[in-house]
Amino acid sequence: MYRFLLPRRPAPWGREGDALPLAQGAGIALRADRLSKRYGDLLAVNELTLEVNEGEVFGLLGPNGAGKTTAINMMCGLLRPDGGQAYIHGLPVHGAAADVRARVGVCPQDIVLWGTLTCLEQLEFVAAMYDVPRDAARRRALVLLETMGLGEKRGKLARTLSGGLQRRLNFIMALVHDPGIVVLDEPEAGLDPQSRVMIREYIKSLSRSKTIILTTHNMDEADRVADRVAIIDHGSLLVVDTPEQLKRQAGEGDVLEVEASGGGPALLERATASVAQAMPQASVAASGGTITVRARGAVELLPVVVKVLRDAGLRPGEVRLRENTLEDAFIALTGRRLRE
Amino acid sequence: MRFLGVLRKNLWELRRDAWGLVLTLVTAPFFVILYWLMTSGGSTTYDVLVLNHDAAAQVAGVAAGTGGDAVLSAMKAVTYPDGQPMLKVTLVLDRAAADVKLKNRDADALIIIPQGFTRTVLAWRREAGSPATAGPPAAVTIAGDLTNPQYAVAAVVATTALDGYVRSVTGQVYPIDVVEVPLGASRARTEFEIYVPGLLIIAATMLIFKAAMSVTREVEAGTLRRLRLTRMTALDFLGGVSAVQVLVGVASVLTTFLTAWALGFRSQGPLWVAIAVGAVTSLAVVGVGLLIACFSRTTNEAFIIGNFPLILLMFFSGAVFPLPRVPLFTAGGRVIGLYDFLPTTPAVDALNKVLTMGAGLRDVAYELSALLILSLLYFAAGVFLFKRRHLRTG
Repeated sequence: MYRFLLPRRPAPWGREGDALPLAQGAGIALRADRLSKRYGDLLAVNELTLEVNEGEVFGLLGPNGAGKTTAINMMCGLLRPDGGQAYIHGLPVHGAAADVRARVGVCPQDIVLWGTLTCLEQLEFVAAMYDVPRDAARRRALVLLETMGLGEKRGKLARTLSGGLQRRLNFIMALVHDPGIVVLDEPEAGLDPQSRVMIREYIKSLSRSKTIILTTHNMDEADRVADRVAIIDHGSLLVVDTPEQLKRQAGEGDVLEVEASGGGPALLERATASVAQAMPQASVAASGGTITVRARGAVELLPVVVKVLRDAGLRPGEVRLRENTLEDAFIALTGRRLRE
Repeated sequence: MRFLGVLRKNLWELRRDAWGLVLTLVTAPFFVILYWLMTSGGSTTYDVLVLNHDAAAQVAGVAAGTGGDAVLSAMKAVTYPDGQPMLKVTLVLDRAAADVKLKNRDADALIIIPQGFTRTVLAWRREAGSPATAGPPAAVTIAGDLTNPQYAVAAVVATTALDGYVRSVTGQVYPIDVVEVPLGASRARTEFEIYVPGLLIIAATMLIFKAAMSVTREVEAGTLRRLRLTRMTALDFLGGVSAVQVLVGVASVLTTFLTAWALGFRSQGPLWVAIAVGAVTSLAVVGVGLLIACFSRTTNEAFIIGNFPLILLMFFSGAVFPLPRVPLFTAGGRVIGLYDFLPTTPAVDALNKVLTMGAGLRDVAYELSALLILSLLYFAAGVFLFKRRHLRTG
């Protein structure tokens, strides 16, 4: 099905002969085909099928324990699936040569560094493990260190760096061999604000030349940088689409949230039904003492909501008006909040 | 290139883990110094107490004096080939006080010379008449703590000196004459020198922790997972790691040898053969280290698990003290014992022959071949299992 195509594309570091063959299906950087993984009774990933296009930033979203990292590990070749197969540029990952896996650069969620090597040494060492020639590896390592604000720290041992700087170094370790596909597992986790902005900007700049897959449980992060997003929960893929389209699925327009007090859940439920009856164009839901109204021009509906609540014997409290988010899309898809 | 990359990276790490390196290098030299002190800088001197009840006796034609004093002198005159006395002889006057010293192991044996010792010995002279007319023999008593490992040697040496004196004075002829023929250069070896080959093997064996922990550290830190994504092969990784560890092993053997040399040890055979034995043994120990790493997820686990093979390699190979063989079968005219499957067993045998007996490469060809085969087997098993356990997709 997937036959190798050979024109060779030039190696990133410019050495002829190191180029990797492209496969049929060029345009699709990575494909998961019914990937499954089970740990005892827990089905961590359940027949996951998705495609990541060349040059796009793809967000894999889901709560902690949803199966994102397991899915990514199977797609990169770190974990053998119980069922299914992953393909990188059309080539099967499992049972393939190391060349296929080497097309991917992975930044793990945890900091994975050699504490007694300097910043430059570890970048050069990892590059050597990808067969990058020494001169090219040094040039690229120095550029990456400079880009991440680590230029002056290149001779420092990794263990002597602050947590934020270690995370930056952890990030560029995935890029030192100039892979076509970059997988970032929770790239903003544990980052200080300065590092977060720096890495976010760099991801954006990379997106022009590389395929980027990022796993995150931070919906805002994905909304800001991802071209397409897949939402995964309990190991199953719920939806794949652009952030805009997903937000649209959650409900057109804005979100109006009104806190209501002075009554029990039954009273709130009746009030919610009354609000829904009064504004059939809107989507209305209640959760934890808050009534949520989704509709175009939701702010104009605020007086109606307040009146209905008062008529029902409830006291309107804090009012929040915001745009639809991916989290709303997630709630709409799963019926629960992301961190529940 | 990847192999060299791993090698270079491990050398960087080694240079920066100064404590780990120093501890690995100084452990065996520390034991060398300890053994040197235990053997009084060469060979053990045994403490012998003498309770002399003997009185002088005058016999026509024989110089005046007591035989007891002469026995004391004979004991003091027993020396090692290098002139170091074998016995430290102390005259005591009180049996009870002597027993306390024996119990406290402040002395190894007590010789009690009876009252009529001189008279009896003189009466047994050949020219004095037949044994039938000489009267009953003198009852010399030897007392000691039989659980004290030094007692037997002290008692044998003391009685040999006593016997020598008696034979020289009485002129009695024994029906047998025992002739001792020392093998190789063994006569000239001090007790300290006899321990050195085993200590050199211990130097290589101490590598077991460093080898196991250096690999397990990569598992624990997750860096091995990062490397699994690269083009690096198991052979690149384990070859690079092992090459550095073998270098440390050879350095450890050399440091130990130099320490022993500074304390008076001299090799009887070619040194390069001994170093080759140390290098090959290091390879086997690294293989065992990889096997330990297969069963360890953390460096702590590696350290704890490592103690078991360390004890096997050290104590069951004869590196620390000789053990009786446990024969299993015969192959090619050689009896193969249970402990022969430990790589350190042929290593100790080879080093004993080279360093103590002055054997050359040809003389230890069998031991070296066995060591090489065992080393390759252990190393191959370590690589195979480590690859399955830690380098295969889970």
